[in-house]
Amino acid sequence: MSKSTILSGTDLSKKYGDLEVVKGVSLAVNEGEFVCLVGKSGCGKTTLLSLLSGLEKPTKGKVSLDGREITTSSEDELALFRRENVGFIFQSFNLIPTLSAWENVALPLFPIKMTSEERRRRATELLGKMELGHRIEHLPSALSGGEKQRVAIARALINNPKIIFADEPTGNLDSGTGEAIMGILNKLHKEEGVAILMVTHEDELAKTANRLIRMKDGEIMS
Amino acid sequence: MNLRYMTKELYYQKRRTLMSILGLSIGIALLIVLNSLSLAYRQAAHVPLKEIGADITVQRSGDVPKDLAGAVFPCSAVTIRKEEVEKIQKLPGVRGIGTGLLLWVFDPNRAWIVLGIEKENSIGPSLLRSSVTEGRFLEEGKPEALVEQAYARQFGIRLNDTISVADKKFPVVGFVDASRAAKIAVANVYLPLKEAEDLAASSKELQSVSPYAPGDVNLLFIKADQEKITSLASEMKGILGNKATVATPDSFLKLLGSLFALSDKFTLAASLIAIIVAVLIAFKTMAGNIAERAREIGVLKAVGWTNRNVVSQLMSESIIQCFMAGILGLLIALVAAYGLSFMKVNIPIPWEMSPTPHFLPGGGDQIFKTLRLPVHVPWNLAFFAILLSIIIGGMTGGLLGRHISKIKPSEVLRHE
Repeated sequence: MSKSTILSGTDLSKKYGDLEVVKGVSLAVNEGEFVCLVGKSGCGKTTLLSLLSGLEKPTKGKVSLDGREITTSSEDELALFRRENVGFIFQSFNLIPTLSAWENVALPLFPIKMTSEERRRRATELLGKMELGHRIEHLPSALSGGEKQRVAIARALINNPKIIFADEPTGNLDSGTGEAIMGILNKLHKEEGVAILMVTHEDELAKTANRLIRMKDGEIMS
Repeated sequence: MNLRYMTKELYYQKRRTLMSILGLSIGIALLIVLNSLSLAYRQAAHVPLKEIGADITVQRSGDVPKDLAGAVFPCSAVTIRKEEVEKIQKLPGVRGIGTGLLLWVFDPNRAWIVLGIEKENSIGPSLLRSSVTEGRFLEEGKPEALVEQAYARQFGIRLNDTISVADKKFPVVGFVDASRAAKIAVANVYLPLKEAEDLAASSKELQSVSPYAPGDVNLLFIKADQEKITSLASEMKGILGNKATVATPDSFLKLLGSLFALSDKFTLAASLIAIIVAVLIAFKTMAGNIAERAREIGVLKAVGWTNRNVVSQLMSESIIQCFMAGILGLLIALVAAYGLSFMKVNIPIPWEMSPTPHFLPGGGDQIFKTLRLPVHVPWNLAFFAILLSIIIGGMTGGLLGRHISKIKPSEVLRHE
């Protein structure tokens, strides 16, 4: 593993019963790199993302994140590891409907001993960067799709992660809003040096990435 | 556990929260009301005896003379010997004894129900001191009489009149209103115990069927340790024989005939059912609520919440909901108890304890002590119900939380 490798998956396979969704995939992401995983629907890219981020355990193979082998970690160890090192952005935003924008951003900090003021300060600062400073008290139901995704991005950044996993982050957005979200992700990668592994089925979006990995039928094509 | 998250979840998910709270509160209210009702019947059963300051009354049935002339004992209350009284007094658990001597006096022109009472005793009919409506109570060493107010009105007896009972003259020093007092040990005329003893001792008819000596009595009023009442009752029967009539709160409870009064087991079974219903309601509504939140739990786990974090969050939400359900259940129960406290209950007084000769007009009628059912929610029952709500909340939240926390985030977060 090179010094600059933040994430590596080696010979990863995932089976659901007899169905092998990911077949012996190996890949690495370097620090500050923006990698796009591209492929048609059902090719196994979301499953691969789940394996690499520690949301799911592989049937075979190893995953190392920030130099730590995570495939053997317990569920709680993985949760703590994710809390400290990883950010997630989902297609469906996955905001908690009863919490305001800033509380959603601060969600990963809730289990940590910290004053509410400190949580709010950090969340508000990030929402300001996402140009949502005026929406901090709004519930998700009062936000547009683009605003929700920007809240989700802020949530992914609250713990200063080394890598962000984004699963079709523009999938539920119109093209204009999708471009704006991609602009934010590019800015993050360039200005903050955060590594990003993004799954998409849109080639056009993948063009902005440093590297593009194509998947087909559970295997990496290029 | 995050307080802000918890309160917002409960506040914004009003339907969920209300359903959970309402469901459980009904079970808790049912539990409190059932137990309060049972307790009320028990307390009601104490009233007839409590009103004469006793926990137990004792008398012994026997025979009446062939000729009903002069002073006789009612067939339900014949002589209890002085030695027997002393034995009873020495029984462990007996805290005090009051005595009385009930006589039927058949004079040529009138029949009297006469009760000889002690002048100073907090147990027994001397409590009538507080029921004197005119004149004064009996004084030590004086042959004088108190007359029941209604009886005096009926027969035109006035204060300071002299009445003749079994050929002895007694000035009327006061009137007593015993209508609101206990239905036990009431009479037309109340004499000092010593005077009643003299009437009994000098009556040939009485002596012919139930030998009597001064110092003997025929009514005992006993104050006892609450937990020993049942065992004392059987010991007294042992001393006085199988003709003894021992009345206790339990014997009145049985006469009430209510399901609550008949059996502790009924209340226990009904309470258990109420608790089970409460637990099932809580479990079912919470299980539905938590299942709706599977995706949310997946998000929490994805962003770094451990299983323990998830369980403690869900558990605290559940505890708060159940605590609120407990409070609401208690409020419902308090309102229900208030409503039920207007219910009247008729406690039948056994004929043996009725002082009126059954062969006189109205003497054979069943006597009841009518009172409002004293339904109230005791603080310890309220505390238990709230504690139970919290325990149900903790258990439900804990069990369901443990179950849902095992969810794999990747399974619930996979986009459609």
